[in-house]
Amino acid sequence: MSDKLKQIINKQSEQKDVGLDQSEDIVQLVGFIIGEEEYAVPILTIQEIIKPINWTRVPQTPPYVRGVFNLRGSVIPLIDLRIKFGLGAKNHNDETRFFVLKQGDEVAGFVIDRLTMALRIKKSDIGPPPDTLISDDSMIEGVGKQDGRILTILKVNKLLARDF
Amino acid sequence: MDEFQEILQDFLVESFELVEKLDEDLVLLESDPEDLELLNGIFRVAHTVKGASSFLNFDVLTHLTHHMEDVLNKARHGELIITPDIMDVVLQSIDLMKSLLNTIRDTSSDAGIDVSECVSRLDKVSGGDGAVPVVEATPVVEEAPAVVEETPDNDDEEEMDYDSMDADEVEAEIERLLQQRQNEDKAKRAAKIAAGEAVPEAPPAPDEEEPAAAAAPTPAPAPVAPAPVTPKPAPEAKPKAEPAGEAKAAAPAKKAPAAVEQTIRVDVKRLDHLMNLIGELVLAKNRLIKINDDVEERYEGEEFLEELNQVVSIVSLVTTDLQIAVMKTRMLPIGKVFNKFPRMIRDLTRELNKKIELEISGEDTELDKSIVEEIGDPLVHIIRNSCDHGIEQPEDRVAKGKTESGTIKLKAYNEGNAIVIQIDDDGKGLDADMLKNKSLEKGIITEKEADNMSDKEAFTLIFKPGFSTAATVTNVSGRGVGMDVVKTNIEKLNGIIDIDSEVGVGTSMKLKIPLTLAIIQALLVGVQEEYYAIPLASVLETVRISNDEIYTVENRSVMRLREEVLSLVHIGDIFEVDRILDGSEYAYVVVLGLGAQKLGLIVDSLVGQEEIVIKSMGDYLKGIEGVAGATIRGDGGVTLIVDVVALMQMAKGVKASASSQNNAVAQISHEKSKASDYKIMIVDDSKTDRMIMRKALEPLGVSLIEASDGQEALNILKSGEHNFDAMLVDIEMPRMDGYSLATEIKKYNKYKNLPLIAVTSRTGKSDRMRGVESGMVEYITKPYSADYLSSVVQRNVNFKSEFL
Repeated sequence: MSDKLKQIINKQSEQKDVGLDQSEDIVQLVGFIIGEEEYAVPILTIQEIIKPINWTRVPQTPPYVRGVFNLRGSVIPLIDLRIKFGLGAKNHNDETRFFVLKQGDEVAGFVIDRLTMALRIKKSDIGPPPDTLISDDSMIEGVGKQDGRILTILKVNKLLARDF
Repeated sequence: MDEFQEILQDFLVESFELVEKLDEDLVLLESDPEDLELLNGIFRVAHTVKGASSFLNFDVLTHLTHHMEDVLNKARHGELIITPDIMDVVLQSIDLMKSLLNTIRDTSSDAGIDVSECVSRLDKVSGGDGAVPVVEATPVVEEAPAVVEETPDNDDEEEMDYDSMDADEVEAEIERLLQQRQNEDKAKRAAKIAAGEAVPEAPPAPDEEEPAAAAAPTPAPAPVAPAPVTPKPAPEAKPKAEPAGEAKAAAPAKKAPAAVEQTIRVDVKRLDHLMNLIGELVLAKNRLIKINDDVEERYEGEEFLEELNQVVSIVSLVTTDLQIAVMKTRMLPIGKVFNKFPRMIRDLTRELNKKIELEISGEDTELDKSIVEEIGDPLVHIIRNSCDHGIEQPEDRVAKGKTESGTIKLKAYNEGNAIVIQIDDDGKGLDADMLKNKSLEKGIITEKEADNMSDKEAFTLIFKPGFSTAATVTNVSGRGVGMDVVKTNIEKLNGIIDIDSEVGVGTSMKLKIPLTLAIIQALLVGVQEEYYAIPLASVLETVRISNDEIYTVENRSVMRLREEVLSLVHIGDIFEVDRILDGSEYAYVVVLGLGAQKLGLIVDSLVGQEEIVIKSMGDYLKGIEGVAGATIRGDGGVTLIVDVVALMQMAKGVKASASSQNNAVAQISHEKSKASDYKIMIVDDSKTDRMIMRKALEPLGVSLIEASDGQEALNILKSGEHNFDAMLVDIEMPRMDGYSLATEIKKYNKYKNLPLIAVTSRTGKSDRMRGVESGMVEYITKPYSADYLSSVVQRNVNFKSEFL
């Protein structure tokens, strides 16, 4: 029994090592769709992804702040990325998800149209955002290319920063 | 170094406590200078602080306390009578001591404060009073100049100190201190061992010093060697000096050691954490109760329900008890705040040359720690105000036939879920007219406002920033800042201020403050589909009024509430709720009271009272105006908590909107200027019938729109092109009959009050019933006379007779 366990543990740690080796030039992201475009955020910033639940509107906020919802006892703001990106609201459907992102103490839920997949992408495949979009206010971290797809990688800290 | 920090922390906590007590005792002493017991107690406190500070090498503090001790020691031995002047010096030195302690807390050193002036005054008091018969030759006078040089050697300090006592006492004091330390140390070690290694409990220490054992957390097992303690008792024993101090106080007075309270110090953070956990539990309990209700409904009569019910009620009972218990651990007696006032009043009376007595009662009343911390400042300002502006000069008082010395009564008591702090003075009272005039002068209010102001409202003017009645700015007050602080702080605590005053008789101020801030009782109100929680502490009452009772004054909605005029604002206007006005006949008004202001908040429905836990909405949504936080309801949904302070402010801003709300009412109920402004839809599949109706109504001059079946009628209605005042509906129609149409229409909030009049040849009672059920207001059976139809329509659309 213990031998087996050891084997498994060893195996796992080996895998981990491999993972660590690669982590230097590999970034793990989760992709999602808003409107027509595919976006991505680093996997470690995602606390969880849940199906839409009820939320409560909060007055005196911009339209993209949908309100707040209850995530196991915590009250968390809900931000609609469609509206934030200027796409206009859309009714939630089976594919709509709430992305709960966390960085430091900041937590917020984001409404996205559809999840795509978790992916590993080489750092070398990530280019800077287009020159015209480089600014401190930009929410774009970079542009990733993989298998002919183009992903816009978003800055999580900018997403979580209050801008009203 | 860490150990030093720990000792330092303990020293500071203890010293602050002792100094606070010192303040109180000294003022008491002044009124009764003969009280030897009190004097002894004060001396010991000063002595303890001195001893502890010398161990920690706080030379300046030691130096100061040493000289204080000299004075007190003389007084103790009857060599010195405590006069107010001497007391001034002593109190001044205590103030210095406080600032020294503060410096130590901030910088871990007591450098930077000059005590020499105070020390020499103390010396003058103790030494210069040569006239007082000196019973035992004390070398204080000679020694004093020597110690004025700072950085005296510690050991010397100790000796000098004891020199100032008589030999026996020094012996006794040293003996006691040593014993104390040893016992403390033993107890401490024993406790450690008992906790860490579970050594079986040994019989209590066969020590003669009982108080020490009583003060120690566990009985001190004897076998632990006291030997290693003795050589260097200083650094270890000192942090425990507080129990030692208590014990010392107890021992000579021959008080029962059992009277020493058994307490432990707990980090406030832990209590906060505990409170948070209880909060979660309360939410879970609310949820459980809700589920229980649902289950009860669904499985009525099932046996297991009984059991479930019992469990739920036990859980809810225990949760409530637990919550109260934890809340109590955070409670402090308000005496902690009150006890600094005797000193303050004393200082003020001397400064202002008035005679004022302070009567304190209810100092045992407890309230949450966070509130105790906040309430101090407002009370200071109120009392200063009473002293400066309220109580008159003695000669004025006598002239008015009052007693020479004024009285300020400070009283605390519980009232329901709140604590009331009442400050009464028998001074000159507030003059409403004078207040108004002053405010006019300063441009705080307009003349019109002044005219409309009741006396009570005028009293609240004193809370306006910049308001002051004092002709000159004195040391004590007159800057017009203090009372504004009072108002802001009390409002921050969701408290209410109530002022009552009579010219020449006095002023009474009541502060009503909720007991705790984390878990509160709230009133849940609904507006359209949304719910909001209003802290119950700010709710004075709720009333249902009919819309006729809402008046518009200067573009603001107001109502009469008994003798008062109450401003009204709709919650929907504040929280941007899309209001599809239902224009119901009645409005629910939640009367909010905050500080001294009142506001009527119109809501659509009152849901009920619930215990809620305040949760923050995180940084992202922090500081949303009008929202104090959020709570999670029994159904798992989030409900926002109304910030009453902000709401009151916002209500001022929606002045125009309050009137636009009135306009909205007008618009929806269609302020008619001519008969054709009335729009009525005729729904009937028979063209003939439509014609008959048209003919009956045309003489009124109203606009008529026709639809040939329910579906078409609904489409016209939905298009929103017309605002109908009434609909005449046939029952039997193709596609959609009259009943279904009525049911569909009533689904829209907007049309809840649109009068639907059934016009049909069905005359059965059950048909009528169905009509009522589906929302018809009138039931006209064919055939009918044109006049009858016309009169029914007129009645239902409130047709103005002048258009006829």
